[in-house]
Amino acid sequence: MWERYITAASTYAHSIDHLFLLIAALVGFWLLVAEGMLFWLVFKFRARDGRPTQYITGEEPHLKRWISIPHFIIILCDVVIIVWAITVWYHIKQVMPPAEASVRVIGQQWAWSFQQPGPDGVFDTTDDIRTVGELHVVVDTTYQFELMSRDVVHSFAVPAFRLKQDALPGRVINGWFRPSRVGTYDIQCTQMCGIGHALMAGRIVVETPQQHAAWLLRNTSPASAAAATQDSALAAPGGDSSTIAEVRR
Amino acid sequence: MRIVQTLVPRWLQFWPLLILAGSSSLSGCRFGAADPAARGQEVFQTCVPCHNADGSGNPAVGAPNIAGMKSWYVEKQLEKFREGVRGMQFNDVEGLRMGPMAQSLESDDDVKAVARYVESLPPVRHAASLTGDAQAGQALFATCGACHGENGAGNPDLKAPRLAGVDDWYLATELRKFRSGVRGASPKDMEGRLMRPMARTLPNEDAIRNVVAYVETLKP
Repeated sequence: MWERYITAASTYAHSIDHLFLLIAALVGFWLLVAEGMLFWLVFKFRARDGRPTQYITGEEPHLKRWISIPHFIIILCDVVIIVWAITVWYHIKQVMPPAEASVRVIGQQWAWSFQQPGPDGVFDTTDDIRTVGELHVVVDTTYQFELMSRDVVHSFAVPAFRLKQDALPGRVINGWFRPSRVGTYDIQCTQMCGIGHALMAGRIVVETPQQHAAWLLRNTSPASAAAATQDSALAAPGGDSSTIAEVRR
Repeated sequence: MRIVQTLVPRWLQFWPLLILAGSSSLSGCRFGAADPAARGQEVFQTCVPCHNADGSGNPAVGAPNIAGMKSWYVEKQLEKFREGVRGMQFNDVEGLRMGPMAQSLESDDDVKAVARYVESLPPVRHAASLTGDAQAGQALFATCGACHGENGAGNPDLKAPRLAGVDDWYLATELRKFRSGVRGASPKDMEGRLMRPMARTLPNEDAIRNVVAYVETLKP
């Protein structure tokens, strides 16, 4: 239903959508009932010539049940929402499915940088793939991410994945996503982080394994590799020479 | 009043409200100054949070002292930031901060206007913040002098900026970035790629501090 307006591109996007739909339906139903009742009572008991106003205390059982019965039903609805929400939250935030790939997401004023461990599967080695503003991932692959900030509080939000997680300086926050649809999706910082906050955007490119391999090859082609080697030769020890791919926005 | 009600369609009789709503909306709009000098000052407000109103910079956020910097150099660097030629490297923390700011400039005219405004700011000198052997640095500076001039005044023909008067912490930071490839790695950054091997002639951190200490002795 929501997909007409915003694409659902991760495996848990539908769980979030269904939760929102449930909340909207239950709250919306009671809003309509309450407002309908209010206006109906205003109309029914409007001022009329020769009809005196009734003064009621609301203590009689037949009057009190107009409050108590909806009250209990609404509490029941609340319990349904809470149980459903906790279930969704548990499966997305508390259960970490086994990782098929990893990515380090680094926020800073005002850019998103990404580090993937490369073929050896280990971070901070020479085959790491580092990109700025653009993350390339493979569809139907479970990614575990390490989210961190270099300076202030940011929030890593990918609306198409229904993913939003704050990044806190000094902390590494773990999470996961599994892209389910090929395409290019927006990333936006959703935590006010300074004058350039609105410009702190990026994108996630979800590719098929073949597309991803081609992208890797393009960025590690002999020409690129030669340039990288030349750069490495020039770079000082401990520098930024381990980059295979430095993709720009 | 009755004539108005008779002649004007009913939905248009709310025109005072329409005018009020329209003027309220327009009050939120900002129109840029036509005069380039005024426009430059206006655009510079984007730079103020990091570089300060007088352009004196802020080492805490890695923002250099740009007061009085030559407009050709400011313009060139802004273009590089806008095109992602500079400031898009994974480890370039300050550059990544500057990139979006430069990209927020609306037009080439704005770039020119703000560059001229930066040049018009009275230069600000800061005391040295690093320690180094200026005498030892003088010999190392011979390499730099080939492009930047013996007195560090810069050479626009070689796209070499003025070094004299630039804060020492900033010079040291940029030299480190050039050495490690954080700056000057892009194939499109011609000047940066020239600068990288030059920076590599400085063998270690002491050499960086020494050459920077010597630059601090030069008169801007």
